[in-house]
Amino acid sequence: MSLKYLPRLFAVSIIVLSFNLANCSDVEKSNNLRIKDFTLQDYNGNKFSLSDFKDSTGIVVMFIATQCPVSNAYNERMVALYDDYQPKGFAFVGINSNKQESVEEIKEHSQKHNFEFPVLKDWNNVIADQFEASVTPEIYVLNSNFDLLYHGRIDNSRRESDVKSQDLRAALNEILARKPVSSTETKAFGCTIKRVSK
Amino acid sequence: MKFLLVFSILFLVYGCSDQDAGETTPESESINPRVGLIDEAGFQNLVADREGKILLINVWATWCIPCREEFPELVKIANEYHQQNVNVVGISADFPDEIESKVEPFLKSQNAGFKNYVENFEDDEAFINSVNPEWSGALPATFVYDRDGVLRQSHFGQNDLDGFRKMIEQVRQADVE
Repeated sequence: MSLKYLPRLFAVSIIVLSFNLANCSDVEKSNNLRIKDFTLQDYNGNKFSLSDFKDSTGIVVMFIATQCPVSNAYNERMVALYDDYQPKGFAFVGINSNKQESVEEIKEHSQKHNFEFPVLKDWNNVIADQFEASVTPEIYVLNSNFDLLYHGRIDNSRRESDVKSQDLRAALNEILARKPVSSTETKAFGCTIKRVSK
Repeated sequence: MKFLLVFSILFLVYGCSDQDAGETTPESESINPRVGLIDEAGFQNLVADREGKILLINVWATWCIPCREEFPELVKIANEYHQQNVNVVGISADFPDEIESKVEPFLKSQNAGFKNYVENFEDDEAFINSVNPEWSGALPATFVYDRDGVLRQSHFGQNDLDGFRKMIEQVRQADVE
């Protein structure tokens, strides 16, 4: 190749490299946490995989509990979120990773509080470990590639009457509007997930 | 003269025992915990106002099962280090209007004489970030500050007697060095 083509080749390389970098960067991602697909069972023995929800606008994964007063303070708010955002294409999945809460207990709790979203039992807190979830309730919103779009709290107060910041709703609204989530990380506060010793 | 001597002894024994109404004596027979509220400014003052003492802060709540499980160990640590220039302070994440109904009865049942507050920050996240931005907010959590009010040790999750001791001793060791 003649040396006279070198500047042109260099220019083309720069353009190609810039294009690739632009494609690689995803402004919607909140951090590098990439969740692998997993399969868990609900309280009726039905299997659910994360990939079942790949066509959703977003996947709302909620680590919840039956006995935790903080998680229970959010039961009605979780139902309201499901009612408002499931029709807009979001999938909702509850996960119970607490070692001391049985499948029967989860079933009774879900039915009592009219949860229409599946609540899956995470034996040995394998999935909680993958998400690095610490407390209940703790929320993760994923896109169809299982990239994390939002992580943290539902809102800023355990008492609904004191809520001033609807963080999860704000994130879901931005995802719906195809905007980057402006607040991707908040601090969830609640009961520590009771893990098995490993 | 005898009367004066007895009076002087009694004064020395009892007269100075309640200088600080906020700091109850851990080993007093009848524990009557008085729990106050603590906000952002109060927390900063608590950490800054060290008077040469190490500070161990335990964040807990009556609804938190592992907090309740570790609490007897915390009471032991408070008693053990009471005379050794270590302040043990509890901050409960219960609501301020639950002090009389939940927090104080729990402290009484635990015979906990060390100072306890209920957090009254703007919201939970503000509280978490003030204490330690690296803390996820999971309870219980324990933090040890050195004599200058610098956070030296953090423990997230349930702790035991040895764990509490190690946190304090490591801070003490660092202070000596």
